[in-house]
Amino acid sequence: MTALLDIKDYRLDIGTFDGPVHVLKGINLTVNRGDTLGIVGESGSGKTVLVRSVLGIGPRNSKVVEGSISFDGQDITNLSEKDWTKIRGIRISMIFQDPMTYLNPLFTIGRQISDVIAAHEKAAGAGVSSKSARRARTEELLDQVGLPNPAMLFSQYPHQLSGGMRQRILIAMALAGKPDILIADEPTTALDVTVQAQVLDLINSLVEKLNLTVIMISHDIGAIATVAKRCAVMYKGEIVEQGMTQDILNRPQHEYTQRLLAAVPDIDVAPEKVAAEVSEAKPAKRGNLLEAIDLKKVYRSQSGADFTAVNSISLAVKTGEIFGVVGESGSGKSTLARMLMRLIEPTSGDIIFDGQNISGLSGEPLRQMRRHMQFVFQNPHSALNGRHTIGDAIGEPLRIQTNMSRRDIEARAEALLDIVQLPKMFKYRYPHELSGGQKQRVCIARAIALNPRLLILDEPTSALDISVQAQVLDFLQELRSELNLTYVFISHNLAVIRQICDHTIVMKRGEIVEQGDTEQIFLAPREEYTKALIESGRKTSQAANLQV
Amino acid sequence: MLTFAFRKLLTLVGTMIGIAALTFLITNVAPGDPARLVAGPNATEDMVATIRTEYGLDKSLPEQFIVYMGELVRGDLGTSIVTTRPVLEEVMRYAPATLELVFVAMFLGIVIGVPLGMLSAVYKDGPLDQITRIFSISGVAIPAFWFGILLQLMFAVDLEWLPVSGRLPLVTRPPEFVTGLLLVDSLISGNFATFWVSLQHIILPAIVLSFPCLASILRVNRAEMIEVLQSDYIVAARAHGISSFRIVALYALKNAMLPTLAMIGLRFGWMLGSTVLVETVFDWPGIGLYAVSSALSSDFKPVVGVTLMIGFFFIVANTLVDLAYAWIDPRLRKA
Amino acid sequence: MTATPMTPIDTSVEDTRPLTFRERHASQIRQWRLYAHMFRKSFSSMLGLSLVVLFLVLAAIGPLIVPYPEAASGAINMSAKLQPPSSTYWFGTDEMGADIFSRVIIGARTSLWIGVVITGIAAIVGITLGIIAGYRGGWVRAVIMRFTELFLAVPGLALALAIVAALGPGITNCVLALAIVWWPGYVRLVEAKTLSIKEELFIESARSIGAKTPWILWHHILPNCMSPIIVKMSMDMGMAILSAASLGFIGLGAQPPSPEWGSMISVARTYMPDWWWYSLFPGAAIFLTVLGFNLLGDGLRDILDPRSRDR
Repeated sequence: MTALLDIKDYRLDIGTFDGPVHVLKGINLTVNRGDTLGIVGESGSGKTVLVRSVLGIGPRNSKVVEGSISFDGQDITNLSEKDWTKIRGIRISMIFQDPMTYLNPLFTIGRQISDVIAAHEKAAGAGVSSKSARRARTEELLDQVGLPNPAMLFSQYPHQLSGGMRQRILIAMALAGKPDILIADEPTTALDVTVQAQVLDLINSLVEKLNLTVIMISHDIGAIATVAKRCAVMYKGEIVEQGMTQDILNRPQHEYTQRLLAAVPDIDVAPEKVAAEVSEAKPAKRGNLLEAIDLKKVYRSQSGADFTAVNSISLAVKTGEIFGVVGESGSGKSTLARMLMRLIEPTSGDIIFDGQNISGLSGEPLRQMRRHMQFVFQNPHSALNGRHTIGDAIGEPLRIQTNMSRRDIEARAEALLDIVQLPKMFKYRYPHELSGGQKQRVCIARAIALNPRLLILDEPTSALDISVQAQVLDFLQELRSELNLTYVFISHNLAVIRQICDHTIVMKRGEIVEQGDTEQIFLAPREEYTKALIESGRKTSQAANLQV
Repeated sequence: MLTFAFRKLLTLVGTMIGIAALTFLITNVAPGDPARLVAGPNATEDMVATIRTEYGLDKSLPEQFIVYMGELVRGDLGTSIVTTRPVLEEVMRYAPATLELVFVAMFLGIVIGVPLGMLSAVYKDGPLDQITRIFSISGVAIPAFWFGILLQLMFAVDLEWLPVSGRLPLVTRPPEFVTGLLLVDSLISGNFATFWVSLQHIILPAIVLSFPCLASILRVNRAEMIEVLQSDYIVAARAHGISSFRIVALYALKNAMLPTLAMIGLRFGWMLGSTVLVETVFDWPGIGLYAVSSALSSDFKPVVGVTLMIGFFFIVANTLVDLAYAWIDPRLRKA
Repeated sequence: MTATPMTPIDTSVEDTRPLTFRERHASQIRQWRLYAHMFRKSFSSMLGLSLVVLFLVLAAIGPLIVPYPEAASGAINMSAKLQPPSSTYWFGTDEMGADIFSRVIIGARTSLWIGVVITGIAAIVGITLGIIAGYRGGWVRAVIMRFTELFLAVPGLALALAIVAALGPGITNCVLALAIVWWPGYVRLVEAKTLSIKEELFIESARSIGAKTPWILWHHILPNCMSPIIVKMSMDMGMAILSAASLGFIGLGAQPPSPEWGSMISVARTYMPDWWWYSLFPGAAIFLTVLGFNLLGDGLRDILDPRSRDR
């Protein structure tokens, strides 16, 4: 039986100002009918370029140096646009990462899907069927992907729908031509945890019902393991390992695969709380470093309706502990984090830091207070001003808050770079030259420049690759004991929270649903919501760690 | 959608009041005696004093403003010193000529600019793109009056294909007045000879007036098309097998039209302003020429009147553009 | 979770010698080389640059090198009046017998200061108001933006005409009127850009370390606005010169016998069509100057586009 998709010795270069970049180096991959293949890799591995090249929508100034891609016996390495119309959507289809940007905002859903159907019919040589016939087929597709009320959906616009619904619509569009292969490019990355599980379930059921062949790429090993029976691991443009998913997860052969798997946090493993114990040896001032009393944030929209982002939340953070805040998007956790630092003003409520009520401060005293509490942001790529050097970025807090001389500031910046384990040379570099993990370390260096006592970290690792996440988290724990810090750690990733937080609160729609000692919450959750959250997280985490 | 339109209408009225205030400011805050401005350069001291009391220019500023607004609402724009006729009447008489010219120019700009911009984007960096790039940048750079003079020299004097100036030759009788737009009126009354002659007269000034507009529209449309063609939903459409032609002509164009529309609105404004130049060169009897000749005669009221009128047309055009925006982009309709 | 730590970037012993200038600024040097390369590749950008350089040179040393310096303010030489272009008078002479070539060259200096003053005033006022409006928000922004939109509601040339009519003709009033008409454009540009930058995380980060508003405006917002501002200023130089020439053409700007290109054409018009050279050359000068600035601005916009930074 000939393979459905056969990639042989495929090499791809992209031309840049600094010379050609070898994006894909000698790829050999075979996909048979009925296979479910997962391609795992982090940013820069080349997995996206690879699958897009399969469909002929790779990057613009790319050149095939060597090798070929053949589909069902036909060589598709360098097809003409006209020939592609017979394949795209009809034989090979694709769904994408962020459904919002992949749907045209100006056209209705129904229109977009009908057009796709019409395009397929034209390519097949048959005439285009009537509008009502296409409408019927569109509604049929929407139903197939589990969307309620297809008739109403037909005339709605993308911005009126939720993320999960939009992704289902993309899937419906991809299935319109009854393709042989479905390529899924990070289909769940931009979605909430609970929705992720639903979409993966949908894909699995479609594989069964329609005998679909699926190629799914992701950096989320859990997602891959849920869907794919075979799997290939990519690193820096090469496939370093491939085989049955079970085998790879159980007995990874290549060093990179091992590293990658080791970095995935397991939601069901109790953490090694070494770091917390160590800090006991230094008798720091026990007691609450930070307290929030009835913090509330209400937004008033233009139409007068009130939206309560955070509804009367009270919490207490002990000195030296890592306090976790977990919730999905819209839970208000980020708003809460910012209110604690008064980056967002609370509508009402008090904040007590080290015994002093800071809610009423303004002007100079407020700025002084900023020296003790610092914030590490979620997205290191946008948390640094692209026009400032790293040295400038780290030195900025010192220049603003102290009277240190330029020379002293430079010396301190170098010392800080040392602490975060980055070379001193970096102080002359610009953010765009650094990797995600390196940028986040720079942000951490900037945050500890003024010797604060409390760090509030808003999803500090979500925007980073998995292998880097583990390093940064380890590093944060080391730093805490070294510098006697207290953390408030915000995340949506339950496994991570379990690993490092002592005390946790679970938030939903602005309120605390459950709180307590982290281990308690995971071992014996009391609320329904908490249980559901842990279950969804467990599904993907378990799959990644093979405990189905 | 209707509430949206209504709110836009309110904004329109508010802006008109604002423009009136602006013209008031210009008249009264500028150094120099406003009474003397109105009276003209040949007035004696007595005349200036009489005018001062008559026009209430000795009252306080806020009082004057209220009087001014009252006059505007009644449609009283003052009187021209040169012709001694009410400004409003003269502006209304000259307006159709300007409007006709601007409409034809706008038509040329859109009909040529949009498709060319689209094609330049699709065949980016190709020979067509290079040509249109130079062409579109020259279009904005070229002085309208110089361009007009050159065209006059070439087509009217040297080649004698087209008339030099004016709207109609002196011997021709204008058609029945319906809209004031000669092209339209002559068609309505079935007078094709007049239509043809009017067309000949309007074509050169229209080309001159449309040139910068065409250039800008081309530029913006091209830039927007390039950006849209790289966006994710276009990639998705291609991946779903939709043909290139449809992607460009329908999907991409609709998304690119938004900023292009904004540019069209802006250019309409520029055009209204540029009429002062083009009408001067071609002796076109519109409000631009009226304003210039009044300004040169130190006849101030007509200049203000024309400014108000141009402002009014511009706001109407912008409101229409806003409405069109909401019609195209469903995300704006809630606003 | 047991992860083996990744090997740090430089395992080799770190150099302790002080870095050379080149090494310290390696990033910037590469960036500038990239800009220069991209700019050089574009014919239109290089053409624009050449025209602008030519214009600046003529403005600087023009009056020193022209064949007939006395032509600057209408020296009268009736025997040579209205001569066609020849080897003695490259562009011909005008109705006073003055050499048009000399007048055109000298006019470059006038146009330069017109452009610089208008663009300069407009930029300073407009950028300041725009940043404040964009950053502050609330009623401050509402007031500034309403006021700005008012000016933008009347097309530039018409408004300038009205202002000059009120003030009286003359080049100073013309420049003043145009500056007044011009600054709203900068407010709109900078306000929009500030609004979008304001939401970026690095602004929040700066606030979280205690930065005050002026610090944030100067160190964070302004540098990120500079690209579109530079492009606009370049193109505005050209458009300001064009607008001043237009007012001069109508008769409300520079007054003859000042060697301003627009007013020269207004006089030249009465000598059409027989003495065509009188209109042609000053107009060509305007055209080439404005074209140069526009091409330059366009080229700058292409290289400063953030997308091309990642090449």
